[in-house]
Amino acid sequence: MIEREIILLGIEDPGSEELDATRTRLRGLFAKGATRRMTQLGLLMGSVLEPMRASGADTVVYASKYGESRALRDYLASFPSASPTLFQTSIHPSAVQQVLVARQQPVREFLPLAGDAQIVAHAAQAALLAPAPSVVFCGGEECIAWSDNDKASSPAAFAFALLLSNGGARGLGTLRLEACDDGAGDLALPAFFAALRGRRPLDRIAAPGMRLILEWR
Amino acid sequence: MPIEAADCRTPFGDARATSAALLGGRRALCPCPVLGPDGGDLVPLALLSARALGETAPPGWLPCLDGLAAGIPQGPWGGPRHPVFMTSSNFGVGSLFAFQRDRDPRHIEYCMPYSMSEVLRQRFGWGSNVTLVSHACVSAHIGLLLASRCLRSGSAERALVFTFDFISPFVTAGFHALKILNAGMPAPYAALPTGSIGLGDGAAFAVLGRPGSGFCLSAQTLHNEMHHFTANDPAGAGFAASLAPVRAAAGGRRVWLKGHGTGTLEAGRLEAEAFARHFPDSPLVSWKGSLGHTLGSCGLVELPLAIEAMRSGRAPGTVGTAPPCFTDNVATEAFSTAGFDGAVIAGNAFGGAHASLLLGHD
Repeated sequence: MIEREIILLGIEDPGSEELDATRTRLRGLFAKGATRRMTQLGLLMGSVLEPMRASGADTVVYASKYGESRALRDYLASFPSASPTLFQTSIHPSAVQQVLVARQQPVREFLPLAGDAQIVAHAAQAALLAPAPSVVFCGGEECIAWSDNDKASSPAAFAFALLLSNGGARGLGTLRLEACDDGAGDLALPAFFAALRGRRPLDRIAAPGMRLILEWR
Repeated sequence: MPIEAADCRTPFGDARATSAALLGGRRALCPCPVLGPDGGDLVPLALLSARALGETAPPGWLPCLDGLAAGIPQGPWGGPRHPVFMTSSNFGVGSLFAFQRDRDPRHIEYCMPYSMSEVLRQRFGWGSNVTLVSHACVSAHIGLLLASRCLRSGSAERALVFTFDFISPFVTAGFHALKILNAGMPAPYAALPTGSIGLGDGAAFAVLGRPGSGFCLSAQTLHNEMHHFTANDPAGAGFAASLAPVRAAAGGRRVWLKGHGTGTLEAGRLEAEAFARHFPDSPLVSWKGSLGHTLGSCGLVELPLAIEAMRSGRAPGTVGTAPPCFTDNVATEAFSTAGFDGAVIAGNAFGGAHASLLLGHD
C-alpha cells in the first residue's frame, strides 16, 4: 500500500467556456502579457496550481488524455508555413510548462502522462512512489471543436491539482493505492475529477493490480 | 536495477547492426524534403528503409515494431505484476497530420496517444497495465525511471519499457520552423558557426527487474529548468543539477559519456562543458550525427547501443563531428571501452528538461 495526505486541492470546472473567456477570467493570476500565448489548458493549470506555488514541491505529476488539442489543431492549420510557437506549445506537457516557465520555477521531477481508462491509477502511482516529501498531482483537459475528428479533443474543459505530502500534517483526506489481483480496472480523468470536485470518496480497481482509494475528512 | 534484455531499431537495424554501422562511421541521415510528399527544403532525416515521411494508414512503421516486440522476453505484459511503460513524444501524431492533409478517416485510429497505444496493446496481446509517458525528448528516460520505482516498491516483478518515435511532416516542419532542422548535417559538439540537427526513426525496449543482460541501471536523475520553452539557462545550471547526482553515484568509477548532442550550438556547448566539469577524464560522444535525433525515444534507443559498445569493447565516436569541438573530451573517433566501469546516458527536452542515467555492469 502506498498513501499520501491531500494537503491542498485546486479545481477548475469551466465546462464549455471559450478560450477568450477563460483568459479574461484568469488574467489576474499571471504576469502582465503572459496570458497572450497561453493555451486554455495552460491557463486552467495555472489557476489550479496557484495555491501550491509556495509549497516547495519539486515533483509534478501531470495527466491528460488529449493534451494541447487547440494548439495541435491550430498548428496543423498553419501548414505549409508551420508555426514554431504553436509547434512548441502543442507538445503534450505544455500546459504545466507554460505555467512553470512563466513563474521561472524549476522542478526536480516533472512526470507527464497520457492515456485514458487507466491514466488516473498510473498517475497516482507515479505521485505516490515519488521520493519527494511533497508532490503535486495535476491534470485536465481543454475543450475545443475539432471538425471531423471527435477523438482528438475533450467534450469539456476541467483541471485539478492535489498537493500531496507523505505524512505529518493532517490534510483534507488521503489518496491511496493498494495492490490487488484483479487483471482489469479503469478510472478515467473525468470520473476522478468529478470525485474531487464533489469531494466524494472513491474505492475501485483503477488499473490491473491497482485499487485506488480516495477518502475525505 | 538489473536489465534483463534491451534492443532497438534504427534505419540500420537492431542494436548490433546499428552499433556496427556507427563504428564504421556510417550516417543514416540523408537529405529529404522537409514536408515529404509536399516538398520543401532538403533536411537531414534518417527514415526506416523504404518508409516515406508521409504517414500511411495503418502506419508503415508498425511492422518494425512487430520485429522489435518479437524480441521481448516472454511475460504476462500489461498484467498486474508486469507493467508496461510506453513512451513517445510523437505516438501517432503523424497520422493526425495525415488526417488533416488527406481527410482519410482511416488515420483517426492512430492519431492520439491513447488510441495509438491501444492499437499496439492489442497487436502485442498486452494487458491494460500500460502507463503512457510523453515528455518530449526525455520520455524514454522517464519510462525507465517509473519502471525502476515500481520494481523497487515491490509492486512489480518485471517491467517492460517500450518506446517508439517515427518522424512525420508534423515534427520535421516544426523543427524546421524553429530553424534548427536546416540544410546542414548535424555535427554534435563541433565549434561551428551554425547549428543543425537531424531527425531519425527509432524504437527500443528494455525489460527491467531480473539479471540477464549483464548490465544494470545504477542511477537515474531528472531536472527541469523551466527557464524557457526551447532554450536552456545560459549559466548551465540545469545540466549541473542533472549530472551532479550521477557523478556522486558513479563514485570513483571510470565512466564514458553518451550525451544528448543533437547538433544545436548553445545546448551542445553547455552540455559539453558540464560533462567536462563533472567528468573531466571521460570521453563524450553523441550518435545523433548518424542516427538523427530519435526524439522521445532517444534515451532508450541509445541504451542498447551503449550496452553493445561495452560488450564488444568498442564505443562508436561522434559520427559527423571533426575538431575543433567545444571541449577536449569530445571523442570524434571510436575508442576502447576496456577500463571503463560504466556509461552515463543523458538527454534533454523542451522546457529545459534533463535526464541522466548511469549504466553499469550487473
